[in-house]
Amino acid sequence: MYAALLSNRYLTSRVIPLIAVGAVALCVALVIIVVSVMSGFLDMLKASGRTLIGDVVVSSGIGGIPNYDEWLADLRALPEVEAATPVIDTLGLLRMPYPSGPSKEIAPVQVWAIEPESFAKVTAYGEKVWWRPPADEAARDAMLPDDPRLRMDASILRDGLTLSQGATGKPGIVLGMHVSVGNARQSDGSYRPRFGWFMPGEQVTLTVVPVSETGKISEPRDATFPIVNEVFSGVYDVDKSRVFIPLAQGQELLRLDAAPLYDTTAEPDAEGNLPLLGTAPARVTKVLIRAKPGTSALDARDAIEASWDAFVAKAARRNDRLGRPPERVSILTWEQQLRDLIGPVEKEREMMRILFSIIYIVCAGLILSIFWSIVIEKTRDIGILRSVGASRLGILWIFLRYGLAIGVVGSLAGVGIAWVVVDNINLIHEAIGRDAPRAAWITTAAVATLSLGLALRALIWRGRLLPGLLWTIATITCAIVTVALIGHRGTLIWDPSVYYFSTIPSKVDWFNAAITAIGGIVFSVIGAAIPAAKAADVDPVEALRYG
Amino acid sequence: MADAATSNGRDPSVGAARIGGPPLASTKPPILAARDVHRTYRFGQVEVPVLRGASISIAPGEWVAILGQSGSGKSTLMHLLGGLDRPDAGRGTVEFEGAPVSLGAGRSLDRYRNRDVGFVFQFYHLLPELTVLENACLPGLVGGFFGHARAAAARRRAQELLEIAGLSHRLRHRPAELSGGERQRVAIARALVNGPRVLLADEPTGNLDATTGASILDLIASQHAQGLTVAMVTHDAAVAARAQRVVHLRDGQVVDG
Ligand SMILES: Nc1ncnc2c1ncn2[C@@H]1O[C@H](COP(=O)(O)OP(=O)(O)O)[C@@H](O)[C@H]1O
Ligand SMILES: [Mg+2]
Repeated sequence: MYAALLSNRYLTSRVIPLIAVGAVALCVALVIIVVSVMSGFLDMLKASGRTLIGDVVVSSGIGGIPNYDEWLADLRALPEVEAATPVIDTLGLLRMPYPSGPSKEIAPVQVWAIEPESFAKVTAYGEKVWWRPPADEAARDAMLPDDPRLRMDASILRDGLTLSQGATGKPGIVLGMHVSVGNARQSDGSYRPRFGWFMPGEQVTLTVVPVSETGKISEPRDATFPIVNEVFSGVYDVDKSRVFIPLAQGQELLRLDAAPLYDTTAEPDAEGNLPLLGTAPARVTKVLIRAKPGTSALDARDAIEASWDAFVAKAARRNDRLGRPPERVSILTWEQQLRDLIGPVEKEREMMRILFSIIYIVCAGLILSIFWSIVIEKTRDIGILRSVGASRLGILWIFLRYGLAIGVVGSLAGVGIAWVVVDNINLIHEAIGRDAPRAAWITTAAVATLSLGLALRALIWRGRLLPGLLWTIATITCAIVTVALIGHRGTLIWDPSVYYFSTIPSKVDWFNAAITAIGGIVFSVIGAAIPAAKAADVDPVEALRYG
Repeated sequence: MADAATSNGRDPSVGAARIGGPPLASTKPPILAARDVHRTYRFGQVEVPVLRGASISIAPGEWVAILGQSGSGKSTLMHLLGGLDRPDAGRGTVEFEGAPVSLGAGRSLDRYRNRDVGFVFQFYHLLPELTVLENACLPGLVGGFFGHARAAAARRRAQELLEIAGLSHRLRHRPAELSGGERQRVAIARALVNGPRVLLADEPTGNLDATTGASILDLIASQHAQGLTVAMVTHDAAVAARAQRVVHLRDGQVVDG
């Protein structure tokens, strides 16, 4: 009762505790803003990383998985599995069509040979093929007038989705958006051809190195493909190096297709031929799987693991020397597969959280020192309260409650500030990206002049040092802000043409916000507890006699 | 209530004081008594005995003045009587309505100060952040977190008392806006708001001019007339004369006359 009355009075009759409220609010706001934006980036990264790999990734060694069709059929029959697709994953060199002249640039690439139709069922490949006419009026309106996609027809998209050149029927290649230097990212996140190099329609030569099951490297082999489209996943590492070719071409280039197998240990016959052992089945090195909606990637993974064991057992029973599945395959969920990508960002976020949480200790210290001096100032009052029957716990509670009030008000204000900032972060970012408007610095210059006048009045006419000093500080601050605003030239911190997102995540991570606010309250109470205990220990007689 | 009475001397076992007024009062057991209390302050190695076996016994409805020089230990005795301080360990007791208060645990001492006695100090000791009314209510708000009903009752009682003290028009003022006499009236209202049986006044007029002091004593007298027991400490014989009985504090002991 009286504790509430007194702590409210102490809070409202003083300016200094407001500084503590402000400090708590800023700490809380800062942590929420930083962690919310970083969580947003993390979600973006996860979503992008996931687009081209599905939910579960099965990878074998270089020898590949034989009779994969059989296993795919098993997989597709599983209740946990929505779709599955075979992939060959290898490294290669791509001879680019540029520059003009005989010597061309070579780009190291990661080659994925895919079955485009089933691949699009497992991944978001279908949506990520970049060059395509706008899907509807809204999409058309959203594009800038010079966007080349406005003048495209559906054939280029069809070619991209089928990995074949519609006009010639030739198998085609699809490049990641940044494999060629010909694509310039714009500030709205779209692309324009640059240096006159628009990739679709150009020819490239892909060189790969087949490796035998035993790990022996064969002669490099190459093939020329027309570029039929490009693909944008949103993960720079992927877009910079990934190319897609049809599975059949990949198997052929890498000698993973079905082929007769001869016994090289036997003597050649009269015509010099080795005895035929049989036909080695075609292979792939990866299988990507999409889980049924409502099935978690982890559950799907467990089912797939069981299915793989069954597949291996079946092959063992058949005792087929040529189609023996590899002893070990890795079966990972998309999150495990993307560990390398996500892990560092997650760690960075935790680092930030910890670093910024240190300022809580500063807050607690601030509250402690403010309260300590209030307790000393209020020693006599404490004696009075004890003399009318207040208990030691009652005195303790006055100051704890006071700290609690500062923590709660500060934390709520902090959450509010963070909400406003995060919600408008793209506007703020754009405003920073522009030159300061004239009105802004004229205003601050006017405020600076005004406070200079007030400072002089206080110092010279009134002879008062404290208001003079405060107004001088205000003058200097406003002057610095004015100069900074005049000198400010728009610099985008995250230039979307450089960075991989066109907007900054602007969603408050509410769970994190709640934890942060509770942290602010807890540290405020901790800071208040020490002076509160001192207050409870005040000897009423001494306080009344000397307080 | 004119003539100062003689107490029973230094024998506490006799108990009651013979005072003026209705004869019945003289046979009542004391409402508040200190029995052979010692209080020693310590400066490092040096011990300064302030109270050396002081005994006093105050009958219900009595107004006792304790007269003594500055530094004689009057405030120390008041603090002991009011449960703010305790006698040296094992050396004397303070009894309220026949039961020792100084042996109580912290909580019951808090309760004693809150309900059974009311303090008035020389320097008023009001809380500057609270209004006059809030200051006067304070003992009613203390004790228990859920005392809303009590708080409302305390508010009514505080308003009554402040009206008696002639401060109805000052309820929302801060203590800093009041004169010394007005502040002391608020302090008296505060001391009485929980309806204690004993008022402990430590030089209540010590900081006031004679006229204002007299009006404060009038206020105390009016409450005393309604049955309040008053123990008042002063170094001013003229002030002491307002009481029914005057005792002296000398050499750490309470003596008559
Ligand atoms: N906390 C203390 N420590 C040491 N000496 C004290 C303390 N409190 C009071 N005294 C001494 O005890 C004596 C009595 O004090 P007090 O009871 O205030 O006297 P009075 O109220 O009669 O003026 C004084 O000499 C004072 O200096
Ligand atoms: Mg004194």
